[in-house]
Amino acid sequence: MTATTLEKAATTAATVEFLGLRREFGRTVALDGLDLTARPGELLALLGPSGCGKTTALRMLAGFEHPDSGEVLVDGEDVTRVPAHRRDAGMVFQSYSLFPHLSALDNVAFGLRMRKVRTAERQARAAELLELVGLGDKGASFPHQLSGGQQQRVALARALALRPRVLLLDEPLSALDAKVRLTLREEIRRLQQELGITTLFVTHDQEEALSMADRVAVMRAGRLEQCAAPAELYGRPATAFVAEFVGTMSRIPGRVTDGTVEVLGQRLPVDGEAPASPEVDVLVRPEAVRVTAEDASDARVVASAFLGAATRVTVRLADGTEVKADLPTHEAAALGAGTAVTVSLPERPVLVADRL
Amino acid sequence: MTATLTRVDVAPVASPKRRRHAPGWLAVVPLLAFVALAFGIPALAMLNGAFTVKDPATGATSYTTANLTASLKGAYLTALLGSVKLSAVSAVISTVFGLLVAQAVVTSRFRALREAVLTASGVLANFGGVPLAFAFVATLGNSGVLTRYFGLADKGWNLYSFSGLVIVYLYFLIPLMVLTITPALDGLRVQWREAARNNGATAVQYWRHIALPVLAPSLLGGFVLLFGSAFAAYATAAAMVGSSVPLVTLQIADAISGNVLVGQENVALALSLDMVLVAGLVMAVYLPLQRRSARWLDN
Amino acid sequence: MARQLNRPGRPWRGVVLAGAALYFLVPLAASVVFTVDVPGQGVTFDAYTQIFGTDGFVSSLLLSLELAAATIAIVLLLMVPAMVALRLGAPKLRPVVEIVCSLPLVVPPIAFVAGIGTVLKWGPEHLSRTPLFQTFVSIQNPDFPFVLVLAYVVMALPFVYRALDAGLRAMDVRTLVEAARSCGAGWPQALVRAVLPNLRGALLNASFLTLALVLGEFTVAQLLGFQPFAVWIVNVSGSQAQLSVAVSVLSLLVTWALLLALAGFGGRSRTAPRG
Repeated sequence: MTATTLEKAATTAATVEFLGLRREFGRTVALDGLDLTARPGELLALLGPSGCGKTTALRMLAGFEHPDSGEVLVDGEDVTRVPAHRRDAGMVFQSYSLFPHLSALDNVAFGLRMRKVRTAERQARAAELLELVGLGDKGASFPHQLSGGQQQRVALARALALRPRVLLLDEPLSALDAKVRLTLREEIRRLQQELGITTLFVTHDQEEALSMADRVAVMRAGRLEQCAAPAELYGRPATAFVAEFVGTMSRIPGRVTDGTVEVLGQRLPVDGEAPASPEVDVLVRPEAVRVTAEDASDARVVASAFLGAATRVTVRLADGTEVKADLPTHEAAALGAGTAVTVSLPERPVLVADRL
Repeated sequence: MTATLTRVDVAPVASPKRRRHAPGWLAVVPLLAFVALAFGIPALAMLNGAFTVKDPATGATSYTTANLTASLKGAYLTALLGSVKLSAVSAVISTVFGLLVAQAVVTSRFRALREAVLTASGVLANFGGVPLAFAFVATLGNSGVLTRYFGLADKGWNLYSFSGLVIVYLYFLIPLMVLTITPALDGLRVQWREAARNNGATAVQYWRHIALPVLAPSLLGGFVLLFGSAFAAYATAAAMVGSSVPLVTLQIADAISGNVLVGQENVALALSLDMVLVAGLVMAVYLPLQRRSARWLDN
Repeated sequence: MARQLNRPGRPWRGVVLAGAALYFLVPLAASVVFTVDVPGQGVTFDAYTQIFGTDGFVSSLLLSLELAAATIAIVLLLMVPAMVALRLGAPKLRPVVEIVCSLPLVVPPIAFVAGIGTVLKWGPEHLSRTPLFQTFVSIQNPDFPFVLVLAYVVMALPFVYRALDAGLRAMDVRTLVEAARSCGAGWPQALVRAVLPNLRGALLNASFLTLALVLGEFTVAQLLGFQPFAVWIVNVSGSQAQLSVAVSVLSLLVTWALLLALAGFGGRSRTAPRG
């Protein structure tokens, strides 16, 4: 897929702001004061467990939901009260959104038809867009004749037809096969970058979010936990929730004194602020944990999972804590279940959180 | 640690004689035989009689299409047209109102309402015939409750007329439409509505460009079903209008009871054949439409 | 579940539903009023109290119930083995049975009775010297016209087919029978003890529908000259309007109660809401 010259919108990319959005459905609080800004031209992923409010926030931007309080701004303009059919936000739904009685071409041209664009012109533009998403020859096909991945491409073309200021993607890949998901992921990213259109992407798949987005906004229970670039989210999670939601984290009990924490027999500096009580859990990523065979130790390997180049080994410490460690496979081969090992951490500041 | 199993004496299984049990289709034979007898014979008799004329003088029977042509002339033609008109009008009105009621119920927040209306529709759609006729006679007949209360007779109202029949037919046609169209309405995915709005469509445009076209096969199929139902109805009309409204079913009844010109006894059978052909046509149109709408709405 | 869009335009829904409620409930209410408020006599419940005393009420009602019982028995005896056999041993016959059971829908009752009438006339006309003649006479016995049962069984086939089909589809007949047989049951035992109990809902469904059909059936009975319940109601209406309406209302309520009970048994296979 390559963008045509008609599409570049880098200079006119929009800024999206969510200001203090609040929404309750009966007794469930969907959004609890969400403040978030999407920068012009960026792909911002909204990531979080089910019920965290990410879809609600997206739908508020599209106009399908209305906040109880708070505002939605696009380029500084308050669109909260604008009805859905007059918003300038193209949306791709998770599934089943193509009109079944219209061909792919007519589906894409639908928005233009609502705007009373003449037939020849709108069909030409629709054909262009289908070409853009790699389905130039499928214009006459009907949705039931297309595969899931193809349908989502048509949906994407349709969302772009009216040259929206913002592109909204509501878990567009969740209903697709794994392989198709990977291909489409890359294509969406590439298209988005070439078009330079501000995009909000909702997903519950952290791998998707981390690989595609410029920034990821992690949400929980209607609130924003952290919004940062993937690397920062992974390496410097702001809260324990983010640390455990993004990637895998093991918790090892330790004791804090004076800005350092005593854990696994080592004394390591604390990264960031230390919590109030001295009893803490140290949060470590599997790739940071070192495991070596040691007969005298009372920690044992209890499981190992083959991941390809690396193997994830689970070690049970004397006090019952389980720690996951990623080792190169040839090393892990020597450490079968029941092997006595020692676990150690590199001499670097570590993240700590309140003990659970 | 294994538990010891107590020995239980089991009667030895009788050595299975490889008795070839009867093939499955044997159980279907009584049904088919019965239908051939109770349905096939009358049907063939009707077919045969429709093409037979008994010469009053000689008593000889001969095969002819005279009955069929007679069935499409004069009073019979009036009756046929009357039935078609009545069925078409009541089917159209019921389609529209059935759609409105179904949509009102499907989009409601109260699940209980939906269940109640669907159950009521299931019951009302099987309603018809004599009790229905009498209920309306009691309501809007010449000495009906509403007629007396509002003085409708003085304003020229007559239940025993074409429009009166239409009003009565709606009572079982609208529920039938509700039952038929509700699955189709359920199949209208909410994503289509939202995608339409997202593409700038107002509610009216959504219905005009998306919802109605997608519903069209179901609506048409429902209409055809309603038409067939109204066309075949007899009891209601008989209990109400007698012969003041020309209807095919009433004509056939007349003919069966002997109320025909000499030499035209079998016209009743020709008329019956006409009805069967109409019903067959109804089915032939309804079934493919059903399948087409299922394809769009089940996907 | 579809998200309910809470948008303006809701009043129309209330209007439509109110209008529908009015149209469907008023005739019923008026019927009751009609039976109770006789012009010239004020409010009286005579219509209801006189029902049992009226000539022909009990006999015609009994006749209808007998006909219904016979119809239900015969239709189930014919259909249940056939439907089960279809699932077990003869799947190829399925389209045949489906068509056979849909044929009655193509032949309206009025046309059907025309055909039956013609056949019955063959008796006196052509068969008076054959033993068949006796059969023809006996099935038209006004005390129990078996010919009506024959007709009603045919008319009930489409409903019974659908009800049994839905019931059988909800259970895995083949597995049940094989399981029963592997426990040592013979064929008849397996069917009676393993399959039938699971079909109870569908059997009740089919029975109720047939009952409602027979109780309300008018066309065939009247044109063949018999007087079961519905025909009696019409015949009586000429002389006692209140009474016939009262009986209609009652029979209606009874039929509805039956069908509602049926719906309560989980016979709601009409709609399949999509998630």
